[in-house]
Amino acid sequence: MSVFDHDYRPYEGRLTSLSSRPLVLARYAMNEAWSSKISVGLFVLGLLPCLVNLVIIYVADNPIARALIMRGSPSFSIGETFFLQVLETQCWFALVLAAWIAPRLVSFDLSDNALPILLSHPISRFSYLLGKFIALAVFLSYVTWIPCLTLFIYQCYASPVPWGMSHLRIALGLFAGAAAWILLLSMVGLAVSSWVKWRVIATGAMFAVVFVPAGVGGIASAVLRTKWGLLLNMPVVMTELWQRLLNAPSFMNSRMDLPTPAIVSVLIVACMLCVAVLNARIRAREVVRG
Amino acid sequence: MGVIELDRLEVRLGGRTVLAGLTGELRGHAIGLLGPNGAGKSTLINTLLGFHEAAAGSAKVLGMDARADRMRIRQSVGYMPENDSFIGNMTGVRFVRYMAELAGLPPAQALERAHEALFYVGLGEVRYRKISTYSLGMKQLIKLAQGLAHGPKLLILDEPTNGLDPNARQRMIQLIKDIRKQGGTQLLISSHLLRDIDETCDEVLILNKGRIAAISNIEEERRSHLNFIELEMAGSTEAFVEKMRSLGCECASFAGGRVKLVMPDALSPRDLYVTAAENGVQIRRIQLRRDSLEDIFLRAMDYEGGRVEHVSV
Repeated sequence: MSVFDHDYRPYEGRLTSLSSRPLVLARYAMNEAWSSKISVGLFVLGLLPCLVNLVIIYVADNPIARALIMRGSPSFSIGETFFLQVLETQCWFALVLAAWIAPRLVSFDLSDNALPILLSHPISRFSYLLGKFIALAVFLSYVTWIPCLTLFIYQCYASPVPWGMSHLRIALGLFAGAAAWILLLSMVGLAVSSWVKWRVIATGAMFAVVFVPAGVGGIASAVLRTKWGLLLNMPVVMTELWQRLLNAPSFMNSRMDLPTPAIVSVLIVACMLCVAVLNARIRAREVVRG
Repeated sequence: MGVIELDRLEVRLGGRTVLAGLTGELRGHAIGLLGPNGAGKSTLINTLLGFHEAAAGSAKVLGMDARADRMRIRQSVGYMPENDSFIGNMTGVRFVRYMAELAGLPPAQALERAHEALFYVGLGEVRYRKISTYSLGMKQLIKLAQGLAHGPKLLILDEPTNGLDPNARQRMIQLIKDIRKQGGTQLLISSHLLRDIDETCDEVLILNKGRIAAISNIEEERRSHLNFIELEMAGSTEAFVEKMRSLGCECASFAGGRVKLVMPDALSPRDLYVTAAENGVQIRRIQLRRDSLEDIFLRAMDYEGGRVEHVSV
């Protein structure tokens, strides 16, 4: 083909490998995510707590600044509890970002029925989802484990005493906790977006999926006087998981503590449900029953 | 190697048999897939692309198995779906580039081919507009552009003229003819419009109620019918008919100066005028048979059995 001749010629150049095609989807999905000013705004907002925490670490590690600012108030230490709060804050910002971005990545394709064209190319349904997942996971990483580990590294640098090696568990916990949350959010985000084609509704549905079961679980726990209803409460489940990963003290009554296998099972079941929804919805053609 | 090879292909969707035991081989350069609505044309295309699993039998595209080699098939095929299928908030050039990259072109080449494909189909001037602002005809053309951008060996067009006004339809048909003439890409065109298939294809597969009703080479049909001519003449036709018989024609004359004849390949319509002038008669009207596909289709639709009818001349 040529723009000037307006005629058609076959393509005879080199082709990229099949395994790299999900990265094409991821690249275009990232561009789509960043194309919204609201996405950029939420991203900046998500980094503001990190700036505040950076100042806190500076003050905690600098005796002169502490003396000037704290003026005799009891000093505080930077440790597991501090980083647990950092992780919690960042992860809830990640939920807001995922609720906004995930529908942009999938709903546009579904509302314009683009799947038949997308999947007529040499990519599988798995590759399609992998590409979208990578984009979402990378975007959420910017506000979760990357700033958390940056703060951790700064604390290692700023601490007047050797601190890093003795608290390596915190770094691993920050990364693992954020990764588990990113995995769950990405799966839920993609599943909800594939189910609800209207983006605004999909954004609301993301919050509903997290908080409505929490309410139901709370009612079940209160009525049946059992702690197992808390397994439906995703904020509680994740907070307990993060506590254990960071080795931070528990905030809950010990009788209400959820066993780790139960927490892991809930997360696996949630991911499996999302996979089932995605398997049903991400198809090139809808199967007509009858 | 046939373009499409079907071997007792059966497809079931939602517990219903949509394609029932299709067997046949299509070798044409431009293959028409014809049939009434609900005949199974789109299901067959989706099966060839690997969207539907065959319940029994097999299908091959360009010699590759539709089940085992679906990625290789998709690499070699460009597909223009029947319904709206695009990403509305993307510009035309970005969408076509995206599809070309998914087909394996490196980003720079994909961008270059996207521009070229859009100019080729006539969307060059609107390539930076969002697709959601395109008219129906433009949306059809951009689906064609994305199917062409990566230079496929086989281009599958599902109802390419659906919803187009006469001018847009003519433009689409002309594009398809151009692609066919260039010779590098084979075509599989699904339509329920006889005229579209007649104008663009050289072989046709007719489906009816999920079965093959006929497979026919339209070119051969056209050639045979081209030799069948009806004339209306003024003057005495006896000498003319005798002369044409002596030249090898099969002739029959009727009242009112009407003559029907089948000419051998060696003769051309010009010989009719020469002979008529020599015998002092006038040819007032000449009609070449051109409705060959309609004949094939009507014969195929009458067919209700389970046997494939290879329509012959």
